[in-house]
Amino acid sequence: MRRWRYFGYRLLFALPVVFGILVLNFFLIRLAPGDAASVLAGESGAASPEYTELLRQKFGLDRPVIEQFFLYIANALRFDLGFSFRNDAPVSELILARLGPTLLLMLAAFSLAVAFGTLLGVLAAVARNSWRDAVISVATLICYATPVFWLGLMLIVVFSVNLAWLPTSGFEDIGQGYEGWERGVDIARHMVMPVAALGLFYLALYTRVMRASMLEQTGMDYVVTARAKGQSEGRIMLGHMLRNAFLPVLTMAGVQAGNLIGGSVVVETVFGWPGIGTLAFNALQSRDLNLLLGIFFISACLVVAINLIVEALTIALDPRIQA
Amino acid sequence: MTESMRPSRRALLSSAVLATVGPAQAQAPARAPVRGGTMVMIVNPEPSTLATYAVSAGNIPPVTTQIYEGLLTYDWEIRPQPMLAKSWTVSEDGKTITFQLQEGVTFHNGQPFTSADVQYSFMEIAKKVNPNGPVILAELQSVDTPDPMTAVFNLANPAPYLMVSLSANNIPIVCKSVFEGTQPLQNPSANRPVGTGPFKFGEWNRGQFIRLDRNERYWKPGLPLLNRIIARFIPDAATRSAALETGEAHYAAYSAVNAADIRRMQANPILGSTTQGYGTTAATSVLEFNMRRPNLAKKEVRQAICYAIDRQFIVDNILHGFGKPATGPLSSVFTTQGFYTDQVRRFDVPDRLEIANRLMDEAGFPRGANGVRMSLFLEINSFGEQWLRQGEYLKQALGQIGINLTLRSEDTATWLRRCYTDYDFDINEPFYSAGADPVVGVHRHYVSSAIRRGTTFVNNKDYRSPDVDRLMDAATREIVPARRAELYHEAQRIMVEDSPGAWLCEVQYVTIFNKKLQNHTNRPLGTYSAFDRAWLER
Repeated sequence: MRRWRYFGYRLLFALPVVFGILVLNFFLIRLAPGDAASVLAGESGAASPEYTELLRQKFGLDRPVIEQFFLYIANALRFDLGFSFRNDAPVSELILARLGPTLLLMLAAFSLAVAFGTLLGVLAAVARNSWRDAVISVATLICYATPVFWLGLMLIVVFSVNLAWLPTSGFEDIGQGYEGWERGVDIARHMVMPVAALGLFYLALYTRVMRASMLEQTGMDYVVTARAKGQSEGRIMLGHMLRNAFLPVLTMAGVQAGNLIGGSVVVETVFGWPGIGTLAFNALQSRDLNLLLGIFFISACLVVAINLIVEALTIALDPRIQA
Repeated sequence: MTESMRPSRRALLSSAVLATVGPAQAQAPARAPVRGGTMVMIVNPEPSTLATYAVSAGNIPPVTTQIYEGLLTYDWEIRPQPMLAKSWTVSEDGKTITFQLQEGVTFHNGQPFTSADVQYSFMEIAKKVNPNGPVILAELQSVDTPDPMTAVFNLANPAPYLMVSLSANNIPIVCKSVFEGTQPLQNPSANRPVGTGPFKFGEWNRGQFIRLDRNERYWKPGLPLLNRIIARFIPDAATRSAALETGEAHYAAYSAVNAADIRRMQANPILGSTTQGYGTTAATSVLEFNMRRPNLAKKEVRQAICYAIDRQFIVDNILHGFGKPATGPLSSVFTTQGFYTDQVRRFDVPDRLEIANRLMDEAGFPRGANGVRMSLFLEINSFGEQWLRQGEYLKQALGQIGINLTLRSEDTATWLRRCYTDYDFDINEPFYSAGADPVVGVHRHYVSSAIRRGTTFVNNKDYRSPDVDRLMDAATREIVPARRAELYHEAQRIMVEDSPGAWLCEVQYVTIFNKKLQNHTNRPLGTYSAFDRAWLER
């Protein structure tokens, strides 16, 4: 029970963390020079000073910072993320529209990477220094070192332009008006290349971690004991080593899960994928502070939540942890 | 190049059609247009809003000119042609313009179009919230509506530039009943536009596409031919090229693909290209000198910089041949109206480097120990990679005359603030479109009344020339074209002599299209006008 009281502390502690992030975001974001009104006026060619002032009034930028701050905190506590004046749309609507495609892309890439990374890592570790190990190690090294945007473009050139197997970009085919099952297949076809481009990087990462972790376990006392008991190599590996070796991968995956909501600007840009990464990037470029703060807030909440879940898992798995 | 060697603009235009479109399209009129189909066009970057009446960013009109219409459109010589106004008369003194409106036009919400909508669009919307309104409509005092099909514009002074600025991309006609009683900047039609155009707003899936559906009740009989237009947003230039090559997209204007890719795409049998449709753009890359800096306050230094730059090198290597050297503040596009002249101080002379170095000596900046006369910063334009390439060339070029140039790259908001609010720059590297008339997009960079801190893309150079102020002021009101041209010729000579900036290149945009798509570019406005007559081959 003391373990779970410890978890309760962590839960309580999360609230001031989120609040601190809220406050920090608000002031950090204002350190960037220039404001949304001047960017918008700039894109409109030469606007008159009156026009820029009109925009500042509309955006609420003419009010004192402290007033803007309290308004922002009050709204955030009610989970009202405000209005993006640049986009003429509520922030929550903009973020929600991107949430589905972002999670779809990131979860697919992430789970495939963890699954196949673990498998390849084990295969490499079992046959250490064999040709199989060499092939896997070289391949993962190449995947790890290849820039994602280049890989993405090469996939497009090969599979879309030359072979015409897959669509170049986008989330779905708009002109066809697919529905139901057909629509699912269409989206899946659009997903293949972005998931591959993004997933290969993580795949390489997890393969390397898993291989190293497996090798580390090989020399452990419990493995020697099991072998002395006469257990088969297969059983030693699957029954004993795998579970222990998987822990570092799980920890790493837990930390990186925070990236899920953030999306990937590079992959989204190359494949025209409607994700949150590009939304945040454009919001930053155009100083769309409400939208940016909204994205930060959602991401922060999610990262804190995932950390709590990982903490709960660790507590459940490892009895040594307590307050 | 001398005047006699240069073919006329008109001849250039028609030869461009034949050269780039080829025999397949030359036969096009013989084939009957096919109805139906969905055209996919690439728009880059994705617009942030469709409130074209309040934001004039260049990526909005490709979508909104399908939905909204203007009073007028233009022929290849930039002469007014009927649109929502079917005819017009200008009074002798140029101060009264009477428009007769098209009958039987309805907005997409079913409301009939009348002179009240024209009055509202000009007096309440364009004059108050359109960023270009204060310039284009400065002289417009009121709009009278003697009957539902007549609108009378009353001007304080003649405004010769007004008649070339009335297309949908400049001043769209909005529906009065949609706006009345609301704050124009908070109107929900910002992202659900209601116009009279050939296509209606369908849906906007942010980050992906905007769908426009055919307007079944369009006032031009039998039009539009297409069922749908989809504007797709693909952030990466290489992916945009791929989408055109695979036939997923049919049309991409404003050089949406990398200049380096254009040659490859021109060799692709399914694709065509054209440089037409940019007749009112007059896009020019320039340098702006901050004349508040003691070094750059000296005319000799500014002229020396102008001499040091090989503009043809920039055209060949940075624009990949899509452009030509600029000679002064007016683009040669204005040859059509007679405003342009190249009879100015020319910086493209063979001994330009000797002249430049001599000017620097005369200005009192001898070469120092390591051959350096002075050090300056160049603010890199944040709108794309080609500007960094140009900056790298400029560093080399100015090095030849002993100027040590440091390149500074910042993001858009920071860059704009530095150059147009804080004035903390030496040389700035912007890129301007002059629009359909010099009053719209040229005056504001040079007249002293446009030195306005905090306003982007105006006279940030601190250039104050009483002569230029006087000439441009006169040109704003002069309605006799020949006299107006003379005023601009004189102004160009003075400005090039003063060199408050360096005029580098006139950029030529390219449109890439799928050859199945027919009749897409039939006006000088190109992608800033409706695809009402465009059709897709099956």
